[in-house]
Amino acid sequence: MEKDFDQMNYYEILDIRPGATAVEIRSAYNAALQMYQPESLVSYSFFSREERKKILAQLEKAYSTLINEAQRIQYDHELNPRGIAGIIETDETAKKPVAIFDMNRQATNFAARKNHNAELKAKIAQSRIIADVIARQNIKGQDLKAIRNELGVTMEAIHQETKIRLDYLTYLEEDKIEKLPAAVFLKGFIRAYLKSLCIEPADDISTRYMNGLTPKN
Amino acid sequence: MAHIWPIGGGKGGSGKSFLASSMGRLLAKSGKKTLLIDLDLGAANLHTMVDVPYPEKCFSDFIARKVADLHDAVLPTPFPNLFLISGAHDSLDIANLPYEKKIKTLRAIAKLDYDYIVLDLGAGTAYNTLDFFLASRNGIFITTPEPTSIENVYRLMRAIYLRRIRHYFSANDFKALEKKVREHLGDDSFNKPENIVAVIRKEFPDKYALIRKDFSSFRFKLILNQLRKQDNTALGEQICKIIKKHLGIGVEFAGNIAYDEHVHDAICQRVCFLDRYPHTRAANDLRVLNRKMSNAFGEQLTLDYL
Repeated sequence: MEKDFDQMNYYEILDIRPGATAVEIRSAYNAALQMYQPESLVSYSFFSREERKKILAQLEKAYSTLINEAQRIQYDHELNPRGIAGIIETDETAKKPVAIFDMNRQATNFAARKNHNAELKAKIAQSRIIADVIARQNIKGQDLKAIRNELGVTMEAIHQETKIRLDYLTYLEEDKIEKLPAAVFLKGFIRAYLKSLCIEPADDISTRYMNGLTPKN
Repeated sequence: MAHIWPIGGGKGGSGKSFLASSMGRLLAKSGKKTLLIDLDLGAANLHTMVDVPYPEKCFSDFIARKVADLHDAVLPTPFPNLFLISGAHDSLDIANLPYEKKIKTLRAIAKLDYDYIVLDLGAGTAYNTLDFFLASRNGIFITTPEPTSIENVYRLMRAIYLRRIRHYFSANDFKALEKKVREHLGDDSFNKPENIVAVIRKEFPDKYALIRKDFSSFRFKLILNQLRKQDNTALGEQICKIIKKHLGIGVEFAGNIAYDEHVHDAICQRVCFLDRYPHTRAANDLRVLNRKMSNAFGEQLTLDYL
């Protein structure tokens, strides 16, 4: 016998390592109860009535201390200087659940989004360049780019919001029509692009853009 | 040197003789020259289990010097490789084997030339039983999952523990130790060897180190017999855990043997259970146990103190 039971620390009583999680503590406590309960077959006749009572009280104390986070920290601090608990393992690199979808996506904050849109609208109302572009009959990729630059929105931001591929957005602004998908999709792209910048009327402008294109075939 | 397996259990009916005969049978079958010795002095019936109903010689002949050597008391059994020293015709006072005869017996057992020697011990915690159990480091405890049986196996373990500790002290020292334990821990504390060891640790650190070293070389095993379907299969592990934690003795849980009505039938028919019902769960458990145990034994005898 290395140590008497009443000299064991709470971790030794429950047979767990110092870094044990709450789940481990709970199951260790249940396992110990199974062994030490008065009606347990395992320890039948092994302990006198007083011994069993004492052990159960210690067990209860060990469990209630370790399962309570604040009390556990305090207990660990008491143990540590005496070098009983050994190294308390706090695993910083513990794995957390990982999102399996878009890693960079931020949670949509509707208030912030509304704010952002209001800012854009204010800018549009003030900007002469934008008013000028919108008024044109013939809209080209470089005009879209001009609007975007005027509003100070990055291409990545538009990509994130519209889910249009970055290379398509680039081709769009560079008027590389041959690399873009068919007209049906293209019109939708333009509309989404404009809507993300809060440019109105998106439908009308996109139609004007499409009209300016020379048919591929 | 022979591997010696003493089988003890504290309570009668827990399956000591059944286990001894079955293990003997399996060892012999695997080609090992095996000897069963019926040391259940005064209540011997191992011969019945291995189908030797009318043994011509027995252990008493050796004690009464009718045969010069213990080897001359060995009987063959119907099974190849399996031999028996029976206790069937032991004298009626054999249970009170005097100390010097016991030591003589232990020495004679150590000299026997077999691969395996299985000692079938009696119930209870008589010194004879304890000393025969301590003849090897590979003692096997057997118990059933019932409070009565578990109570007795704990008692046997404590008695064996205390008996072994006793060897480290002279009679006077031991009396002094007893007095100290009573002073430290109160009157009834001497019944618990764990209390005694706690005192030894404080008062005789050198003896404590010796005792610890001694017990760490023991390879005690525990077998749970007659496990019914509804019984807790983890019971054996839990018992070993509690012994380790509170007594400080390492006992390895060897396995469970399923309860089987057929065992009763086989004994009534006086045939070997393993031959008569080889495809039952209990028979399978026995084979698994035998394989596990015969692979796991290291250092053997503890006759150094004799």
